Amino acid sequence: MRDAIDTWLTLIPALPLAAAVICGVLGPKVLRHQSHWPVILAFAGSFICSLLLLRDVYENQRQLEQSGAMVAGYEHVTNLWTWAAVPNAYDLGETIPGDGPTPAADTGWRNFRIDITLRADALTSMMLSMVTGVATLVAIFASGYMHGDRGYWRFFAYIAIFVFSMTMLVSVSNFVLLFVFWEAVGACSYLLIGYWYQKPEAAAAGKKAFLVNRVGDFGFLLGLFLIWSTYGTLNFHDTQANGDVVAVATEGSADAAAAADGEGGLVRGVLGQSRLKANDFVTGGLATAICLLLMLGACGKSAQFPLHVWLPDAMEGPTPVSALIHAATMVTAGVYMVTRCSPLFGASPEAQLVVAFIGGFTALLAGLIALTQFDLKRVLAYSTVSQLGYMFLALGAGTYAGITSGMYHLFTHAFFKALLFLGAGSVMHAMGNVIDMRQFSGLRRLMPYTYWTFLIGALALGGVFPFAGFWSKDAILGSVHDKVHAIDHELEHRSGHGKDHGDDHHPATDGKTHIENPLAHWSDAQLARYSKIYLALYYVGIFTAFLTAFYTFRAVFMTFFGEERIPPQAGHHAHESPPVMTGPLMVLSVAAALVGLIIEFGSGLFSAAQGNLLSWWLGHTPSLATGVVAATRVPGAFHLDVAALSTIVAVAGIVLAMYLYLGERVQAERLSKAFNLNSNGLFGSPYKASLNKFYIDEIYDWTIVQPLRLLAFIAAWFDRNVIDGLVNLTGWIPAAAGSLMRSLQMGLVQFYALAMVLGAVILIFARLMYAAG
Amino acid sequence: MTPYLLAASDITVRELLFCRSFWGIVLAAISLGLLIPQRMKYGRTVGGLLMIVAAGLLGSDLPLLTNWVAQSTFWIVAAVTLGSAVGTISSPSPVHAAIWFAMSLLGTAGLFFMQGAQFLGVATVIVYAGAIVVTFLFVIMLAQPEGHAVYDRITWGWYPKTFSVLAAAGMVGILTMLLAGLREQAYAGPSVCKPIASADKGEASDALAPSLGGQENEEAISKAIIQGTAVPPVEPNPVLDADHMAVLGGQLFSKHLISIELAGTLLLAALVGAVAICMFGKPHSNIEEALR
Amino acid sequence: MTNEASLLYNYLMVGGALFALGMIGFLVRRNMIVMFLCAEMMLQGVSVSLVGWGRFHGDWGGQLLVIFIVTVAACEAGIAMALILMLAQRSGKLDATDWQQLREEGQPAYVDREVPEDPDYKEPVWPTLTPAGIEPPQDIEETLHRSRV
Repeated sequence: MRDAIDTWLTLIPALPLAAAVICGVLGPKVLRHQSHWPVILAFAGSFICSLLLLRDVYENQRQLEQSGAMVAGYEHVTNLWTWAAVPNAYDLGETIPGDGPTPAADTGWRNFRIDITLRADALTSMMLSMVTGVATLVAIFASGYMHGDRGYWRFFAYIAIFVFSMTMLVSVSNFVLLFVFWEAVGACSYLLIGYWYQKPEAAAAGKKAFLVNRVGDFGFLLGLFLIWSTYGTLNFHDTQANGDVVAVATEGSADAAAAADGEGGLVRGVLGQSRLKANDFVTGGLATAICLLLMLGACGKSAQFPLHVWLPDAMEGPTPVSALIHAATMVTAGVYMVTRCSPLFGASPEAQLVVAFIGGFTALLAGLIALTQFDLKRVLAYSTVSQLGYMFLALGAGTYAGITSGMYHLFTHAFFKALLFLGAGSVMHAMGNVIDMRQFSGLRRLMPYTYWTFLIGALALGGVFPFAGFWSKDAILGSVHDKVHAIDHELEHRSGHGKDHGDDHHPATDGKTHIENPLAHWSDAQLARYSKIYLALYYVGIFTAFLTAFYTFRAVFMTFFGEERIPPQAGHHAHESPPVMTGPLMVLSVAAALVGLIIEFGSGLFSAAQGNLLSWWLGHTPSLATGVVAATRVPGAFHLDVAALSTIVAVAGIVLAMYLYLGERVQAERLSKAFNLNSNGLFGSPYKASLNKFYIDEIYDWTIVQPLRLLAFIAAWFDRNVIDGLVNLTGWIPAAAGSLMRSLQMGLVQFYALAMVLGAVILIFARLMYAAG
Repeated sequence: MTPYLLAASDITVRELLFCRSFWGIVLAAISLGLLIPQRMKYGRTVGGLLMIVAAGLLGSDLPLLTNWVAQSTFWIVAAVTLGSAVGTISSPSPVHAAIWFAMSLLGTAGLFFMQGAQFLGVATVIVYAGAIVVTFLFVIMLAQPEGHAVYDRITWGWYPKTFSVLAAAGMVGILTMLLAGLREQAYAGPSVCKPIASADKGEASDALAPSLGGQENEEAISKAIIQGTAVPPVEPNPVLDADHMAVLGGQLFSKHLISIELAGTLLLAALVGAVAICMFGKPHSNIEEALR
Repeated sequence: MTNEASLLYNYLMVGGALFALGMIGFLVRRNMIVMFLCAEMMLQGVSVSLVGWGRFHGDWGGQLLVIFIVTVAACEAGIAMALILMLAQRSGKLDATDWQQLREEGQPAYVDREVPEDPDYKEPVWPTLTPAGIEPPQDIEETLHRSRV
């Protein structure tokens, strides 16, 4: 069993890598327009391997649970090879500040070792299956979409490298490697956004994406440095003192190892099972700093405010790229990372609040901007930013329900957003690369498959029962609502019973570990403040759901309803897309329709399941199995009030969109005129502000880009004139001296003789004068 | 180092200003600057007068010989030599310059005779004045028959003139300073120009007592060298031998035989070379024509 | 003894003065012949000094060296005259300023700014002979009135 898991783990990234190499080497001359075959086959192979991995992880988990030796979830770590190793490289010393003495296991001399380690646990397997599945469908779609493009092989090579990087990102068990593949997906995103590099907007958009990501990566790197200096290691998993992996920690071994002293004992990984069992995480300012820096990285990768500016511009890339990278996979890397590091976030409630706040704010901001965009892909891009904001809102709630609902929404969002993007791609393909919604309409009779699948996706995005988005969005809002309740409950509890209370309201998950209520450490004022903020965020979420439904259906009605208008660029293309493109659309629409139902009601198939399927499944991940997060785990309850409220606002949004955009659209114009009234205001009208993305790009330009340009100009001037001037001066001096000397060479013999004589006289005189000395 | 050089570096400015030789050199330099052919109208006249004054100053500062006849003869011959030399460099006509030079050579021959170098004196007159200067005159006739030319009347600007005069004056001045120690011994009476750091007179006269015989002579010489005083000449002076020619010939053909042979070869080479240059150096020369 | 020292001193001064004068002339004159004359003068100065030192030290070496100097000076004068003749044939005059081609590139040549007039120059009047076979002009008065018998 173990060996099979290793095989799947290795194959899943290896197949796309091999496909990338084949495409890169053989693509230009041999494969050419058949370059999609190695890639699609590799992706399909990876998907099958990830399903097998899922099955194997489930089997192992069940065995471990039944044998009663589970410590903190199930993980299986394999070491492919050692990248770098320096024995006895550094002395950890007393690095962990905070209460109490530093545990012996965190001191002493350490070996420095970076291994290429892959892990298999519940979270990873779920992410892998989602990534490879969507990648396969997008690759099939792309083989039709990119048909006839000159750089066909290049596209598929890049996509393959990207999938390799993404699968490695979610598989590695080490922060350093996570960073490496974090950067790798960023680089692939740059390559793919700027795929049509001759187009200056595309090249600029690629650059912008990469640079903005870099800002986030800077924060991420600082966070890594802090983690390193605090915890002394960058591995997720526990390792022996010499660096070998501890494959699966069982109850007995973990206890024995944790009791061992410094050298020769266990080196506890940052998210390792022994540390999770002991709940030995840094708290206070250091924890907040680490979490905020990691969040900065996540903001960059997952396009949250203030680093969201790259995602709408990234729509310059081909639509399959937008579907794969900027909907389903790369932008979810940030969410994945925060989920993985949830024990770290759990140690800092302030950071959790910041995460929630950023998520909620971004969701609202993006929703407001999406209201007025007329480029279909931009609407979907802002919608992605908004939904990612929802995910971070859920993660910021900090409870088990919150985190799992964030992942739940990630999972469903991948399907319906990829579906929407691919549908937009199909429309673009038919309309001759025109995606401005003002230039076409009434396409539902022309492209029925596209229309129906797009509609299903829109319903899922809007959160309409019974599609996938309804369940996941409801889970998010419910978790935030529960958080507010928990805080209020704690406040009442305190006022009623005083500070000293037991944790009887929050039973431990499996009866083995006994973690305190994390809210017990908060002060009263803190509790009151947090309660208000979370409540406000909850209402922001509800409002954004309304906005989401509105702008999604605005897009649907503008594109597919009304009189049939086709732009002149369409030419002969104005027909339904070929089956190779509509096939993935249909598969994804089935998924968007059914996934939610399966997850909600499928948990009955598994005996020990509580709540929805995904939250039960993710509960086996080490990060979520024990610790402060697990302490907040409650049996899954269906929040009827939240569901009702979200359905009402969604329907209200749809109805408003129908009213404004179905039919004559007279009302829409009236409304836009109304919003346009105070165009003499500071930023023009609200409509204009929304249309211009609230001028965030311009603000960045004025405050960051121009000063940097000025600095660069000054530096360049300095380099060219002062430094080069000095160097040139040094070079000019011999030349000047030479020309001076040259003027002595008159060509007249007597002048030479005169010079000789003068020299001789001076020499003799000098010798004379200094004869005494 | 010898006290000559040490002496030179100890001269103070006051001593310098009172020294007749110094002013003599300065005046001579100025006058030479004026005498050189140039555009100034009465430059040559003024220069000549100044030169006479300078010569007077310099001459009066020379240490005296024992014999007044010898001294006056020397002065006359030296005056002829140097005056003719000044004439050489200052006359605008090249022919005149050559004649002046011949005169200077005669003066030099006289100086040789006074030193007892009779053969040299005669050789100077015959070879130098008789052959070389005549050759010069032939070439002037061939190349510049019309006499005064533009380039004889002017020289390059003030820069080469000034610096060459300064260099020459500097050299003579250095020479004077270097020989100050020598003059200290030569002077019987007190002189303002004598150096401060000099050997004691008593020691000097003791050390300089003549002694006959090889061994003692060597000792005295080495002692004098170590003390840094002048080396006394040996008595009697072998150079002033009565059989001048015989001894000179003996020296020449015994110790310096190879040099004589080489000098002969050099003369042959020069002869051949001069002929070759004249034959093949002409512009558009045709060898067959030249040989015909 | 003092006689020897002062004799030496005098001769050294004369030799030095000759040398200095020759040096000045060599550096200043433009006529190639005169330049060479001054070079010979420098050699003479050196010879005078050498003879003086020879007398002072009682060494024949001084005079012998002067003999060799005279020899070499003669050779040198011969070759120099040949060369100067060739140069004069190429450029037509004996001016040293004509031969500046070895100067540095970009360096302007030396040109005379003003050429002074020769105050002594007169157009040479060459004597003429009356052409043969022609009666010389006679004074008419002389033929008509004899002034004396």
